[in-house]
Amino acid sequence: MSAPPVIHVQQLQKTYDKVEAVKGIDFQVAEGEVFGLLGPNGAGKTSTIEILEGLRPRTGGNATVLGFDPDRQKQQLKDRIGVCLQATNLPAKMRVQEALELFGSFYTRSLSSEQLLKRLQLWEKRAAYYDTLSGGQKQRLALALALVNDPQLLFLDEPTTGLDPQIRLEIHGLIEEMKSEKRTVVLTTHYIEEAERLCDRVAIIDEGKIVAMGTPRELQQKSHEQSRIDIVCAQPMDVSALPPWPDALGSKLSDDGKSLTVYSSRPARTLFEIMKWLDQQGLQLEDVHLKRPTLEDVFVELTGKRLRD
Amino acid sequence: MKQYLAIIVMDIKLALRLRAVIFFNYLFPLIFFFTFATVLRGDSGAMTFVVTMSVTLGVLGSGFFGAGIRSIQERELGILRRYKVTPITPAPLLVGSMITGWAIFIPYIVLLLLMAHFIYAMPLPAHFFELLVFISLGLVAFRSLGLVIASVANTMQEGTILVQLFYFPMLLLSGATFPADKLPKVMRIIHNFVPATYLVQGMRNIMLKGQSLMERENVAAAAVMVLTIVGGTLISMKLFRWEKEEKIRGRAKLWVLVVLAPFIVMGAWQWLHK
Repeated sequence: MSAPPVIHVQQLQKTYDKVEAVKGIDFQVAEGEVFGLLGPNGAGKTSTIEILEGLRPRTGGNATVLGFDPDRQKQQLKDRIGVCLQATNLPAKMRVQEALELFGSFYTRSLSSEQLLKRLQLWEKRAAYYDTLSGGQKQRLALALALVNDPQLLFLDEPTTGLDPQIRLEIHGLIEEMKSEKRTVVLTTHYIEEAERLCDRVAIIDEGKIVAMGTPRELQQKSHEQSRIDIVCAQPMDVSALPPWPDALGSKLSDDGKSLTVYSSRPARTLFEIMKWLDQQGLQLEDVHLKRPTLEDVFVELTGKRLRD
Repeated sequence: MKQYLAIIVMDIKLALRLRAVIFFNYLFPLIFFFTFATVLRGDSGAMTFVVTMSVTLGVLGSGFFGAGIRSIQERELGILRRYKVTPITPAPLLVGSMITGWAIFIPYIVLLLLMAHFIYAMPLPAHFFELLVFISLGLVAFRSLGLVIASVANTMQEGTILVQLFYFPMLLLSGATFPADKLPKVMRIIHNFVPATYLVQGMRNIMLKGQSLMERENVAAAAVMVLTIVGGTLISMKLFRWEKEEKIRGRAKLWVLVVLAPFIVMGAWQWLHK
């Protein structure tokens, strides 16, 4: 018998005055899964995640998180989950280690601050005031605070928004560590690469509705977009000599004949055939690039807008 | 209990690291104290006036600015939002704020009384400990008033206006800075309804008249402070907001009047019996 889902959401609704932010969504998250809510600003991701964290009451539908009702069993739920908020702050003159010790005291169970500081690479900064930390260090501290009660379920609301690419990669590494520890993670993001790299399953959310859900690969395969193969050769190719590649849906040669673009429904097979043909023709390959449809393409197809609109 | 202790210890550390807290809790009232004490040196009655004025300045500052404005700031900066995702309730934060204010302020009171005694020859009050108890009640009561103001103010701007509306009239009409019997008749009536009046009167009764805290009018003043502490804490808990986006409706602001009710009753009683 499979384990019950860690999160069970049924017909969840949230209305602010007359604005419907979440319009009856359904999903489940299994134990140990990294589940992503992907969508543009204002799609309803944060409202959904904050209802599940027990921060906002729902307007309709049902939700259980770790067996608790987030509306009625807030305190018990908050004691068991870790949360990294999208926008938050700490007192300017609070030291890093003090923050972990203070927040640790709020839970029935907490990890040692020393252990967390070393793990999140903040040990050197343990005596630093919060207002002296860089953006990346503040975000690492936010993640450390989310882990302070050693939760089995973590909610990370846009954990890398506004951070530079290097720091973003560091944070991705930390989330991958959480994944390897079999923690369940619910992540909201509007960064495609983040969802593709980190999530086991993704729900694409737009205007308060889930428009698609599945593994990133499943969603990409649903796309009507084709994969694109770009080939650059040292010598020009002869347009009349180009054969019909298997599974190719079209091709285009540049004016100088050195760059070839082929669209394919099965890019691996097509690429293999192209390589064989180049070799037979004695053409010297300079560059090759394969672009599969991204979640962004899927999103654009489903909603007609871009994720960062 | 673990949560309460952790918050109180952290709050004290944070307060002592902030220059503004040191300035408004210690230096600002001390500047007034030394300025007036130097002018009025040798007159022990006048020294009592200077001490009660300095204490009242500190108590009102600690209550309205230390507790009230700081609480709004924490909400506006998103600090309370971080607490909201933990299992903590508003109670440890509110109680922590009151106890922290007291722990920071009481050493100042002792210092002030000792300076008035040793530098300016003011006799130490016969009921020194009772005076400290009374001032403590006043301090915690005004911090709870500050927290109620923070609970009903939707923005920092609104909070600042509300604080000014309470702070200056209380300072001017309580008799702390200006003798109440010199006020015009209408102002003297209002003086009875000003919460700080009872703090000032109680302190002067103990310091100048050598009364005990157990004297009837001091017990009444202390009881009003205790009612304010209880009422203020309960109302602050009820109206507590973790995020600046959570707005309070206009009508809920009337809760301020509820917390002031003990003073209104006391003022009416005083007015009718004079």
